[in-house]
Amino acid sequence: MPNVALEELKSSFLSLDMEATLRVANTVIRGDDKATVKEAVDVVAQSLEIVGKRFQAGEWYLAELVYAGEIAKEAMNILSPLMQTGSSQSLGTIVIGTVAGDLHDLGKNIVVSYARSAGFRVVDLGVDVLAQRFIGAVKEHKPVALGMSCLLTSTERELAGVIEELKSQKLRDRVKVIIGGAALSEKVAYDVSADAFAPDAITGIDIMKKWSASA
Amino acid sequence: MNFKERILTAMNHEEPDQVPVMGLIMDTATVNHILGKKPVDFVGMLQKPVVGTQIKSLLNTNRFWKRMYYDNFAGALGSAIKLGFDANWTICTLMRLNRDSQASLGWSWYDPYGRVWDLGRDAEGNLAVNYSRPLCDTEEKWEAWVAKRASLFETMIKNTASFHKKLVENYGAHIYSIGYAAPGIFENSWQPIGFVNFTRFIYQKPEFVKRVIAFQTDLYIRNLDAVMQSGVEVVLGGDDLGQKTGPMVRPDVVEKLYGESYRRVSDFVHQKKRKFVFHSCGNIYALLDKFVEWGFDGIITMEPTAGMDLGRVREQVGHKLVLIGNLDVSYLMVSGTQQEVEDAVKKAIGDAARGGGYILSTSHSHPLVDPTRMQWMVEAAHKYGRYPIGN
Ligand code: B12
Repeated sequence: MPNVALEELKSSFLSLDMEATLRVANTVIRGDDKATVKEAVDVVAQSLEIVGKRFQAGEWYLAELVYAGEIAKEAMNILSPLMQTGSSQSLGTIVIGTVAGDLHDLGKNIVVSYARSAGFRVVDLGVDVLAQRFIGAVKEHKPVALGMSCLLTSTERELAGVIEELKSQKLRDRVKVIIGGAALSEKVAYDVSADAFAPDAITGIDIMKKWSASA
Repeated sequence: MNFKERILTAMNHEEPDQVPVMGLIMDTATVNHILGKKPVDFVGMLQKPVVGTQIKSLLNTNRFWKRMYYDNFAGALGSAIKLGFDANWTICTLMRLNRDSQASLGWSWYDPYGRVWDLGRDAEGNLAVNYSRPLCDTEEKWEAWVAKRASLFETMIKNTASFHKKLVENYGAHIYSIGYAAPGIFENSWQPIGFVNFTRFIYQKPEFVKRVIAFQTDLYIRNLDAVMQSGVEVVLGGDDLGQKTGPMVRPDVVEKLYGESYRRVSDFVHQKKRKFVFHSCGNIYALLDKFVEWGFDGIITMEPTAGMDLGRVREQVGHKLVLIGNLDVSYLMVSGTQQEVEDAVKKAIGDAARGGGYILSTSHSHPLVDPTRMQWMVEAAHKYGRYPIGN
């Protein structure tokens, strides 16, 4: 039988009502309701996935995607201090950053926030990230995936540079590489020998989830 | 026809002698290439202890700042004339240099609105300036910031008026110098606050958001007024309302928050008997009808990497908007072949130029947009852009 609190959690989340969402989360945490924390965490993750699908379908817009990400973050803070990650199990680590010379970060930040909520541990290197820092982080954190954001044609060569460096340090087989951002396309991914291109954050996370499952 | 008649005829949705071509030249690297100048290692100089401090006080002197900025756009117009463009855009901004421990080079700029601009080098060592973070992430900080910057706003308006007038005085005989009031109301409202914070405020503090937008609208109209003092019949304005896959904000929310502001802008420009052309990057199909409704006369850029197709835009808006664009700057204008550039020009003309109302340009500027490709674009426009346009 559907639980009332969980239903309410989902519906207030999907109407982007932060106050109501957090109120229900607090009810669950206090044990006022039969729903478990794990169930509530899963509802938040599922709702976020619905938001993502609506965005991909062009029904919802960037501001809604961003605000839903914010609601999820706050709800998770209440529901699970242990889980910076959203779902109840970890999907592994991803390392992400915007390439050297590029300061665009809205897109990368959305990927970070949705990846965390989906259950990844995310190491966010920020913007204007030099190749050495990407390589260092791959060595240190042994991620499932390395994500690079790049919005400018002038910085596309950075992508190839990082991937070349991964190869020369014999790390290329150990990590999948995914790229995204305005100036990129499937063709660029092919040219720089990345494993995937994602036109939006949600597609990217779907791809990384598959990698995580087969890792 | 001369360049001015050509532009104005097109702006009137009539057919000029040939399709006008507009440059979006502004990056120092591009100007240096065209005029054969060497890059100045400004960032290197700034990092020397004593020299750095001297440069800071020099740059923060309004006279010097104005001079430097003017020289950059004088170079841009000179470059556009050399390549044979009929028009080029010109933008005036004001920034102050500051030591900044959060910035990678230890220095950054701030602008009167409350943004931090990072200081960097482009691939050739030229100074590059890019918005990096907001300074006013709370309501209180924003209020305090704008209250304290009243005199900086006045300086900005005065600089803008004299900048555009002087460019037109010095270059107006050779090229149509179209002033661009930038950044626009949307960007001036979200960027000093940050996109995530601003989005939260839309839902949680709508009254504050309204106040910010009202403030920025009044200021923007003054800025436009300053640009228009150059006497040029066309003025650009704009905001990046789009991203790769669609508008940043739901169109009905854009209408609710900004509709009245944009209508005021169009009315103001029309009262002054000028035309208003709006710039937005990103995928903006969902907003085109709004642009018509708000009274814009045209749009400029239309980004192909975000799926904007000139033919489809013309089909959607007909001749209700003048279209200026949109050769790709991710591949074509960086490393495309001459044949590819020619083909793209032919296609653009075929898609949008019949009946006038079309000006050919690139879809943006950045330091790698190549002067030789721009030259090919101009030549191809002369070759294939003669009216009447065939089928
Ligand atoms: C906002 C914006 C800016 C802001 C950036 C603010 C900030 N802090 O990020 C400002 C004004 C500072 C700016 C500056 C510049 N910009 Co700009 N900018 C844009 C704009 C309009 C939107 C970008 C954006 O934030 N979109 C919203 C986010 C959410 O979308 P997104 O980044 O695409 O990310 C999504 C997906 O791509 C994907 N994704 C992104 N990264 C990743 C990574 C991974 C791993 C995955 C899985 C997915 C993924 O998921 C995200 C969510 O769905 C684009 C237009 C466009 N088509 O995108 C131009 C654009 C990117 N800019 C452009 C240019 C040229 C510039 C400048 C060079 C301008 C200049 N001459 O000075 C500077 C460069 C600054 C620098 N060195 O970085 C050009 C690039 C053209 C090119 N081919 O090179 C564009 C495409 C505009 C155009 N008309 O051509 N810009």
